[in-house]
Amino acid sequence: MKEKKLDVVLVLGILLISLFGVLMIYSSSSIWAEYKFADPFKYVKNQGLFLCIGFLLMLFVSKIDVSLYYKKMNSILFLSTLLLILVLIPGIGTIRNGSRSWFGIGSFGIQPSEFSKLALILFTSKYLIKNEKNLSSIIKGVLPILGITLFIFALIMLQPDFGTGMIIVMSIMGLLFVGGVNFKFFMKLGILGAVGITGLILMAPYRLKRILSFLDPWSDPLGSGFQIIQSLYAIGPGGLFGQGFLNSRQKHFYLPEPQTDFIFSIISEEFGFLGVILVVGLFLFIIYRGFRIARKCEDLFSKYVAFGITFGLSFQAILNLMVVVGLIPVTGVTLPFLSYGGSSLLITLCSMGILLNISRKI
Amino acid sequence: MFYKKIHIRINIAFIGIAFLFLLIIGKVFYIQVIAYGKLSSLADSLWSRNLPIEGDRGKIYDRNGVVLADNETTVSLVFIPNQIKDKEEVARKISSILKTDYEDMLAHASKRTVMERVHPEGRRLTYEVADQINELHLDGVYLLKESKRIYPYSTLLAHTLGFVGIDNQGLSGLELIYDKFLTGAYGAIKYLSDAKGKKLELTESYVQPQDGMNLTLTINYELQASLERELDNAVSKYNPDQALGIAMDPKTGEILALASRPSFEASNYQDYSLEEINRNLPIWMTYEPGSTFKIITLATALEEKLIDLEKDTFFDSGSVQVENARIKCWKHGGHGAQSLLNVVENSCNPGFVSIGQKIGKETLFKYIRDFGFGSKTGVDLNGEASGILFSLDRVGPVELATTSFGQGVSVTPIQQITAVSAAINGGTLYQPYIVKSINEPETNAVIKETKVTPKRKVISEETSEKVRYALESVVTNGTGRPAFIDGYRVGGKTGTAQKVKDGRYMVGNYIVSFIGFLPANDPEVVVYIAIDNAKGVVQYGGTVAAPIARTVLLDAISILDIDPPKGASDKKYNYNDKKYISVPNVTGMDIKEAMKNLKEFKVEYTGSGEKVTYQSPTEGSRILEGETVRLFMS
Repeated sequence: MKEKKLDVVLVLGILLISLFGVLMIYSSSSIWAEYKFADPFKYVKNQGLFLCIGFLLMLFVSKIDVSLYYKKMNSILFLSTLLLILVLIPGIGTIRNGSRSWFGIGSFGIQPSEFSKLALILFTSKYLIKNEKNLSSIIKGVLPILGITLFIFALIMLQPDFGTGMIIVMSIMGLLFVGGVNFKFFMKLGILGAVGITGLILMAPYRLKRILSFLDPWSDPLGSGFQIIQSLYAIGPGGLFGQGFLNSRQKHFYLPEPQTDFIFSIISEEFGFLGVILVVGLFLFIIYRGFRIARKCEDLFSKYVAFGITFGLSFQAILNLMVVVGLIPVTGVTLPFLSYGGSSLLITLCSMGILLNISRKI
Repeated sequence: MFYKKIHIRINIAFIGIAFLFLLIIGKVFYIQVIAYGKLSSLADSLWSRNLPIEGDRGKIYDRNGVVLADNETTVSLVFIPNQIKDKEEVARKISSILKTDYEDMLAHASKRTVMERVHPEGRRLTYEVADQINELHLDGVYLLKESKRIYPYSTLLAHTLGFVGIDNQGLSGLELIYDKFLTGAYGAIKYLSDAKGKKLELTESYVQPQDGMNLTLTINYELQASLERELDNAVSKYNPDQALGIAMDPKTGEILALASRPSFEASNYQDYSLEEINRNLPIWMTYEPGSTFKIITLATALEEKLIDLEKDTFFDSGSVQVENARIKCWKHGGHGAQSLLNVVENSCNPGFVSIGQKIGKETLFKYIRDFGFGSKTGVDLNGEASGILFSLDRVGPVELATTSFGQGVSVTPIQQITAVSAAINGGTLYQPYIVKSINEPETNAVIKETKVTPKRKVISEETSEKVRYALESVVTNGTGRPAFIDGYRVGGKTGTAQKVKDGRYMVGNYIVSFIGFLPANDPEVVVYIAIDNAKGVVQYGGTVAAPIARTVLLDAISILDIDPPKGASDKKYNYNDKKYISVPNVTGMDIKEAMKNLKEFKVEYTGSGEKVTYQSPTEGSRILEGETVRLFMS
């Protein structure tokens, strides 16, 4: 059988948004890089390198037939979960930005929770097929996979990394929804989730502070409201066309680590409303292509995987953007393709590779 | 079909995701468009740092453009410590230029602050020093313009001009009242800064400072200088407790000159007591005016047609009995039989008591109030007093009698001169004022001009004419003779008022005053002089105050360019008075003939010729007898 072409349009979309990301990482990080490392290109060099590796990886992964994951599913899940546990052990995992969620190799860090996200999406896709008959039953069909998800979520929360945990749970929810689980289940779960989140907030007061700061960032401008105020200060003056490339003022030490979680505010400051439309448009385009692949492919496993990956990506982007524009409290989620971070970019491109492999089948 | 159900749910998920993205775009739109103004200004204030540049304070001019309050430009040294890369180097270089301590300078340069003024050693540097610093082109070292208030004429008009504090803020006088007009707006060199305070290269903008507005006063500098000089002379001559003077244009209420003693030097205001600084006597001081107040009684009686100056007579026995009080005339033994014009000329107290009795208390006090006494004139200066009048129900025959000649009322000098102006200008009471206009600093275009404000018509033109006539008579024939100026028509009235302390009249302690005006038929300037407790002299208004007023009026003639009128009333000479005599023409005569014609004068001549070819003063000049006439013979 002649191998079909992969989705070239999607590859172009990914390339475009990733290159834009590198550009913005340069603009937003150069000041900090100069200050910290006396090398304004420090971050952008790293990111550029990762983008090259990531692209090669993506093309390599796009050659691997998804059925391989189907066969090796249990070992993949076991391995990723093992890593999640290992990272919690002091001496193995390192603490960055208040979370023990990294394996550090020099200045380069890997977050195993990113792998878990992908692994669990693959696992759930297989699970949905295996338990197709049981899905109408909450206890037999839904609870087991929910249990595994919550277990992994719990492990991630021990780091703690609430943002990634949320993305994983929501991705699995999305898969369960598409897999045909009853609407009523999601409604009940929604209520349960609300109660659960409230519980988590009560457990760690810093989360409550974050929530309050999102409602009125000016109530604690130097504390919990600081990031969001600085973000709004960046977005606000952007206007329609922005201040122009490299002309962000907020990146001058006002916005901490502007190249990571808050890169979108620098984009809106420098490129204005048009820049925002461009970024959102690119995301919607990639998501649309992802869902199109999911709809068109014949293989059910591939369908689920394509959907799960795309849905996870969408949810991560939405979570980040909503934080940056002040719609939800600060959660600490990076923006896929755009935020600085090697491990995050590698995993995102890796999952895009899987998606592209599936695209070869349509 | 199973796949169909999946596809529907995928579509639902996509719609949900698209909706959330739209929500995000909506929020960005809200932030950038709707909340833009607020956020943008908040953000701007976060980013921008200002190096302030002071605007010049508005200047104060006299009516002819003489600068009474000016500015001197200096520069001051400012550090932005975050921008200074090598603090030791900056401290070393700057301290060697300023010749100050290195450690102190290093402390300034290292201070954890946004902006550090190098105070005091870096304030108000000379141009040469500033230039040396500028040459170094050091990062974070700035020279900012600062202006310093100066008063070119030192104590001149000090109370009225007031002074400014260390930051050029008005603290007293016009500097305080008009502070918001005089104060310029700060300009700035705005640069955008990062959160660590370092200067960003992005943009730097210069916001030009706005100079304050200028004031133009009604004051005539030359007349003011004349008044100040005369008060200084009076102070050295009589060593009075206080002295004051005002000159006013009676037809408008414009104050032409205004001075007080003791005075102070505005640039060293710290060296003076609060009393010395704050008491602008012409508007602050209240006292019994004495005989100058008789002008009001006179004007009232004339307006009410109760007296005839020429036909009515009064016999002054030296005192008059009013109920239980015996009111004496100032002249022991009295003035005897006089016409009412003589009563005015002689400033005869019993005569004025009788005029007051004819008027009656209701009418007299109505006119007193109409002339502006008992309430502030509303002059545009602060610290004005309103004076004290008897309340009408407490006025008995004695109070009516004393009020008629100026005792038992308390008035301010500004009220006096304003009221007398009304009495002689045709009967209109004007609001006195000192700020003529507020002007735009660049072009000096008038922004706000004070209008001449007539308050009310108090007496008729005919009455006013009679008052002028009577007061001219006072100067030609009566107590005001020391104010006479030959060839000009001068009107005036003396005043000698006892001072009250603890409810009793003090002995041998008077405020002597004179109010004079010219030309008497059509007054262009009124001058009021009051000297408080003159020493070493018989304290009469005629002897102390009138000569001072005369000198000021004499200066006013040339300063205001007042022409001599035709038909000036001739002075009635006492036996010892020197006469003014018109100089005849002697040119063309030989020396003998000339000497004969000039026998009332001393003659000095030069030259070797036979005939007089030039004489000084020229024909028609009026000079005192015995003065010198110089001739040139050729």
